Amino acid sequence: MTTEYQKPLPRPLSPELTKPFWDAANRHELVMPRCQKCDHFFFYPREECPRCLSPDIQWASVSGRGRLHTYTIVHQPVNPAFREDAPHVYSVIQLDEGPRMISNMVECDLDDLRVDMPVVAVYDDVTPDWTLVKFKPA
Amino acid sequence: MNTSLRGKYCIAGVGETEFSRGSNRTTRAMGAEAIRNAMNDAGLKPEDVDGMLSYHGGDSTPSTSIMYDLGLRPNFYMDCSGGGSSTEALVGLAMGAIEAGMADTVAIFRSMNGYSQMRIGGTGVRAASPITGIDLLKRPYGMISAVQQFSFTFTRHMMEYGVKNEDLAHIKVAHSNHASNNPKALMKQRVTVEDVMNSRWIIRPVAHLLDCCLETDNATCVIVTSAERARDLKQKPVYILGVQGRGTKPGGDFHYQHGPISRVAGYYVGPRVFELAGVTHDDVDVTGCYDAFTYTALLQFEDYGWCEKGEGKDYVTSGIINLGGRRPNNTSGGHLCEAYTHGMNMVIENVRQLRGTVDDYCPQALEGVHTYDYSEGHCRQVRDAEVSMNMGWGTPAVGSSLIMRR
Repeated sequence: MTTEYQKPLPRPLSPELTKPFWDAANRHELVMPRCQKCDHFFFYPREECPRCLSPDIQWASVSGRGRLHTYTIVHQPVNPAFREDAPHVYSVIQLDEGPRMISNMVECDLDDLRVDMPVVAVYDDVTPDWTLVKFKPA
Repeated sequence: MNTSLRGKYCIAGVGETEFSRGSNRTTRAMGAEAIRNAMNDAGLKPEDVDGMLSYHGGDSTPSTSIMYDLGLRPNFYMDCSGGGSSTEALVGLAMGAIEAGMADTVAIFRSMNGYSQMRIGGTGVRAASPITGIDLLKRPYGMISAVQQFSFTFTRHMMEYGVKNEDLAHIKVAHSNHASNNPKALMKQRVTVEDVMNSRWIIRPVAHLLDCCLETDNATCVIVTSAERARDLKQKPVYILGVQGRGTKPGGDFHYQHGPISRVAGYYVGPRVFELAGVTHDDVDVTGCYDAFTYTALLQFEDYGWCEKGEGKDYVTSGIINLGGRRPNNTSGGHLCEAYTHGMNMVIENVRQLRGTVDDYCPQALEGVHTYDYSEGHCRQVRDAEVSMNMGWGTPAVGSSLIMRR
């Protein structure tokens, strides 16, 4: 790679809260915070469970499978670094384990997009240090 | 619910600057002009205004500067972080400040170079800002602008309820017809459904270019005081019957994780504001439904109960929202055609509607003499308008509402 990656990278200000997520993504795994008290999977990461407010949180592997809950096809990206990708797809993924997360849909004909279509995680190593979790049709 | 303030407060003055795309002015100068225009409208002198409220997104000038350009010395001021749906909420806060004895007359303003400086669309300054908080989980995927973040709600809605882009286009058509009778409007040209459908995609499937509002340089102001005080002033008082906001869906940040994604905050705000105001949908003659995009108006029509969920497409294509229809919406042209002001222009318009003195092309408009000829270049006064309702939108998860009576 000679060209530098121009898009925003998720460099967190409080790495301890989100580090397990990005470390897992580097290993091509998807993990989610799970409350040890009420078993609730949730996302984004927080220090307490949003359902029972317990601070006893562990990261747990999830299947990477889910459904395309909703999406939008971006024809006019705001950030110039995304212009080469347009039209590209933002999505909200409903994971089988419960949480919904924002991502991109890839490897999919735009005309084939449907809400609730089955999807599966893919891992995009955008730089040597950073991997983004994206989704494709299952 | 405390209904004892119903009709006890009024909007006594309204004002704005020119709506432009390149003001070449500071937000300080524009804010001062809008407030001065509202004071002149009400017949208030600097010593009569002793409260100031504003909202901003880091893109305005604080009250503490603007007050001195107006010769004011407030007993109360606050500059609040906020965008759409703040106008209505701040009207309520102004009432609270007056009720608490903190001030007697409060000017609420919003000043923004929304085209030439800080563009809401996320370009320029906003695009370059560092990524923090939950943006960590959005920006790497490219998400920034409002049109992108709000669109999730409506894509799902379109699929569930069979809404077509042609349905949405009717909202733009109605508002453009209204704007053609508004000398202040930035985009006065009437458009057709075909014009909207033929404009380029911004985000598919929910918004062509003409489904999006007009980023605008402007400042706007409304002045709140007691009904007792308002009766001594220049204009016919417009009474505040009920105000709510900013109310939210559960989990206002990643709201799409909670419950039906196609539900918006109006679902929670609507029943409360009607109960507080003591009126029903049938009593309302004119609406101001926030049209950042055509679909934000449609979603709110449904969740505020103007029609059943899923029937918004019928409501907006039926003619109800057009001038001459049962309940015209955004008679100034709204955000789609008059100007994008973060909601204040729609409250100002409804105040003028209830006074009967909308500034259209009728020769004696300001004396309240109208032709009710709604063809291009003529009248936009709603005949005998008595009750109005504003529905402010912050995000799908955040909303406010204001019901007023003449």
